[in-house]
Amino acid sequence: MKAAAFDYIRPESLSEAAGLLASHEDARVIAGGQTLVPMMAMRLARPSLLVDIAHIEGLSGIADFGAYIGFGAMTRQAQAEKSTLVATRLPLLAAALPWVGHTPTRNRGTIGGSVANADPAAEIPLVLVTLEGSICWMSADGQGEIVAADLFSGPMSTEMPAAAILTEVRFPVWEGPPIGVGFHEASARRSDFAYVSAAAQVQVDQAGRCIRCTIGIGGALAFPKRLAGASKALTGSQLTAQDIAAGLSEDIAALEIMTDGHASSAYRRRVAGALAARALANARDHARGALR
Amino acid sequence: MNAPSNFTFVSSDRRVREDRRFVAGQGKFVADITETGMLHVAIVHGSQTAARIVSIDATRALEMPGVVGVVEGEELRAAVEPLMNGLDTPRVQRYPLAIKHVRYHGEWVAAVVAQTRAQAEDAAECVDVVYETLPNVIDTEEAYKPGSPPVHPAHGSNVLLDRTFNWGDIDSDFAASDHSLSLRVTWGRSSTVPIETFGVVAMWDPWSETLDVRASIQMPKYADQIARALRLPGNAVRVHYDVDVGGSYGVKRGIKHTVLVGYLAMKLKQPVRLIEDRLENMESGDAHGPDRIFDIEVAFNKDGIVNSMKMRAMDNAGAYAGRAPFQLGKPIGAIVGPYRINSVRYQAVSVTSNKAVQEAVRGFGQSPTNYAIETMMDRVAEFVGLDRVEIRRRNFIRHDEFPYLIPSGTRYDSGDYHVVVDKVMKHVDWDGLIAERDRLRASGLYAGIGISACLEPSGGNSSFEPLLNSTNTTTTWMESCRINVDALGHVTVTIHTTSSGQGHETLASTVIGEILEIDPDSIRIVRTDSLTSLPGNSPVGSRMAVMLGGSCFHAANKLKTKMIAIAAKNLGCAVEAVEYAGGAFHARDSNKKLSWLDLVTIAHRNYHLLPEGFEPGLEATNVYQVPTGNELPTADGRVQMYPCHSFEFHCILATIDPDTGKVDLRRYVIGHDCGTVINPHIVKGMTLGGIAHGIGAALLEEFVYDSEGQMLAQSFMDYLMPSSHEVPEVEIVHHCTPSPFTVMGQKGSGESGYLGAPAAISGAVNDAVRALGIRFNRLPMRMTAISDAIAEAKSNNAQSR
Repeated sequence: MKAAAFDYIRPESLSEAAGLLASHEDARVIAGGQTLVPMMAMRLARPSLLVDIAHIEGLSGIADFGAYIGFGAMTRQAQAEKSTLVATRLPLLAAALPWVGHTPTRNRGTIGGSVANADPAAEIPLVLVTLEGSICWMSADGQGEIVAADLFSGPMSTEMPAAAILTEVRFPVWEGPPIGVGFHEASARRSDFAYVSAAAQVQVDQAGRCIRCTIGIGGALAFPKRLAGASKALTGSQLTAQDIAAGLSEDIAALEIMTDGHASSAYRRRVAGALAARALANARDHARGALR
Repeated sequence: MNAPSNFTFVSSDRRVREDRRFVAGQGKFVADITETGMLHVAIVHGSQTAARIVSIDATRALEMPGVVGVVEGEELRAAVEPLMNGLDTPRVQRYPLAIKHVRYHGEWVAAVVAQTRAQAEDAAECVDVVYETLPNVIDTEEAYKPGSPPVHPAHGSNVLLDRTFNWGDIDSDFAASDHSLSLRVTWGRSSTVPIETFGVVAMWDPWSETLDVRASIQMPKYADQIARALRLPGNAVRVHYDVDVGGSYGVKRGIKHTVLVGYLAMKLKQPVRLIEDRLENMESGDAHGPDRIFDIEVAFNKDGIVNSMKMRAMDNAGAYAGRAPFQLGKPIGAIVGPYRINSVRYQAVSVTSNKAVQEAVRGFGQSPTNYAIETMMDRVAEFVGLDRVEIRRRNFIRHDEFPYLIPSGTRYDSGDYHVVVDKVMKHVDWDGLIAERDRLRASGLYAGIGISACLEPSGGNSSFEPLLNSTNTTTTWMESCRINVDALGHVTVTIHTTSSGQGHETLASTVIGEILEIDPDSIRIVRTDSLTSLPGNSPVGSRMAVMLGGSCFHAANKLKTKMIAIAAKNLGCAVEAVEYAGGAFHARDSNKKLSWLDLVTIAHRNYHLLPEGFEPGLEATNVYQVPTGNELPTADGRVQMYPCHSFEFHCILATIDPDTGKVDLRRYVIGHDCGTVINPHIVKGMTLGGIAHGIGAALLEEFVYDSEGQMLAQSFMDYLMPSSHEVPEVEIVHHCTPSPFTVMGQKGSGESGYLGAPAAISGAVNDAVRALGIRFNRLPMRMTAISDAIAEAKSNNAQSR
């Protein structure tokens, strides 16, 4: 369990980092290293060069841009977990963060790293997809933004251009009437890789009726997916148990489930439905609680 | 505790003296050892489940930076003896590296030695091995069938052991019983997986012709086996016992690792180190535990009294025999559990397969057996419509029946099972617990109560060796202690084995302090090495409280007797008239006194004052033989197994999430009776750790193989150990029934908790889903499988309505 030989550079600027990635085949960005380092130790990852972005100015921090909260790619998960801005403006992310690894991994693991790593079971990408956020990237050739729905292309892979660095992660903020969130996971152990996860955020009017709704599923699929049909169908409803079950059924049936030795595809589909319903019910109750 | 304690230090709330250095990070483990010029080994692992090795080409590897050499099986075979088998299976030969064939995925094919481990790993990737694939067998019952692809063709079949014991008149007892039923339960392959993997550093000194070995070891006769395999005299191997071992519970045997590294150290004349990484430990460290199918038929009366049991235990030993098949033998010493079962038929079957090799695991086969027996008792209760606690009460051996001879020849020392159960029922508020379960059920969860009543045989002898291997006549199974009082009056004790966290220093100092009436913290404990040590058998079989404790007790009394004789002469009185208190001596009939230091001075400096025939100095040695189990088995296969039998009664309330299948242990109570407790903190730690281990075996941990023999749980991502989140608060209810066979009434507790937890958790899960008409008969019960079974049952029940 010793990594294959590799070079390591810690540039001070984004352009320098982008240049290194452009000029070295098999170079990889390292941020918190909580996935990459064990993968390298097991020789499942063999980068020729590690470009450490930890010392790049301006790549860390949480800022409120009104319509969205922007996270510099190097922002540690623990920092986001403790942030009052996240707690008040992004309650769904706040609800998901305690499920991300363990305290020691969150101390080093980053928001950008989790998204770029694109683990199917990861919580932060699920929240990003559910809230219809986006990421920004830059490379030696340019820069751009990709919306979450278009970002992930498979397990551990994204549509970011090769040799690009993820620079910022943007989570939209819902303004206005009370919102509520729900987040659930099925995993063998607390903080283990999720067999299935579900995230939901709803907004209710004074009568408690759902006026905005989003629901996403992770863990069970090649990458997290927002249930667009269910989110639309449930908007305008009272979110009764019957509403939720009816609203979810079509999208859950259509999920392209991944399977492995730990959980059957039947399990993942069944539990996806159950956890989505729980997350929605929690979100509804949470939002209505805020009315009082 | 029910026994009033007359002890000063024993059983008292004293801290564990080893803890300080471990908590401060000052333990000295094998990976902390660095020798000048030390070389590192990496292993080339077989990539096939069963194959002939066509060729091994190390040319590329040998050209890589830092590489010193590559060794393969044929070279090793010429230089070393095959590793020992427990059973009489001489044609199942095993060497540290594969010879001509690989027999399981990951088997060691070659070893690369380099200046650093990273260089060795780089080079190991460049050793080119060509294989010709052979048929394989993974499934236990397939392997048992005649005609299955033999893992060792020279042996003729995959059957290592197939022996049936008949203890008592089974057929008559079956005929005379009202009912019988049969069941099958399966124990999936799990293990103890310590934080520290196995590691060894060996160095050869050609001038003294000595091989120095420092290893993460917990193994009887380790030095003997290395010497034999390396064709060295026994006194040429020095195994250092002062290396801290970072966890074991059975698996830290490392004999193949050590023979390989010892050979390399002798060949290269440089220190050589091999420390398994996690992948090696899990796939090819040969450290998996029992993998067992139980088929049981039980005969009982309508009042729930169990009369007779037929049990077939079929174990999948993996690719080589090793010592693991003996794990079918040890449970014979408690084959009826805590119950009065009149007769037993026991068929023990061990088969080879193309899985990794097993090693000893905590309880040496007892926890799987307890799971089978307890599941049987739950089934009988269900059949006759009796409460699960009541049926156990009816079948328990009564307190006044001890010592109690069970059909297979072991005499249980003592127990008070009814009282322990009463105490637990009272503590847990049994009626309240049932009400709570029913409230949880009404709230939409599946909820169940599980109980188990299990024995922990302890004090470890090896009676299963002669029982299962007639060429083995071992009845000696000892532990040793030496006490020396120096000329300044300070006490040093040597103990003669490694510790893998059992707290021997606390144990030895507490017992000796108790006898000599001196502060245990003033006693120094020293671990020797195999060349300076007295005979011993290492901390296996839950034996050290009984065996090291017994040895310390006798050595201390021997020393005291010697000191009293010296005192009598110098006080001018008879030996019987000397009173010993708090380390001082006085003559009962006069006012004359001798202090500890007076006596030490006489012993060390005043030969003229010593009784005639006394040797100078103050020293006492004891080599203590296990109290019972000193005879060979009878012709009909009865033998006294371990001397002591601790008892544990588990009571659990569990819920199952109806959707995810996740089991939540909401209440965990254990009643525990291990006789006299030497140190309560050590016993508590053992019990809590044992329960955590049992939770893993019951719900999470398994070395899963696919049908082609690929091991799927190669890291902690897939081999799921319980974390602190999964282990509930455990309430321990104490009881003390002293053993009549041990020096202070103590019994073992090194396997406590683990021996009953899987059975009780299985009982709780099955109680929870009983209304659905389903059962779980296999461990681990993974949440996903529980959920799938519940969903299927619900769907079937809906259709049948």
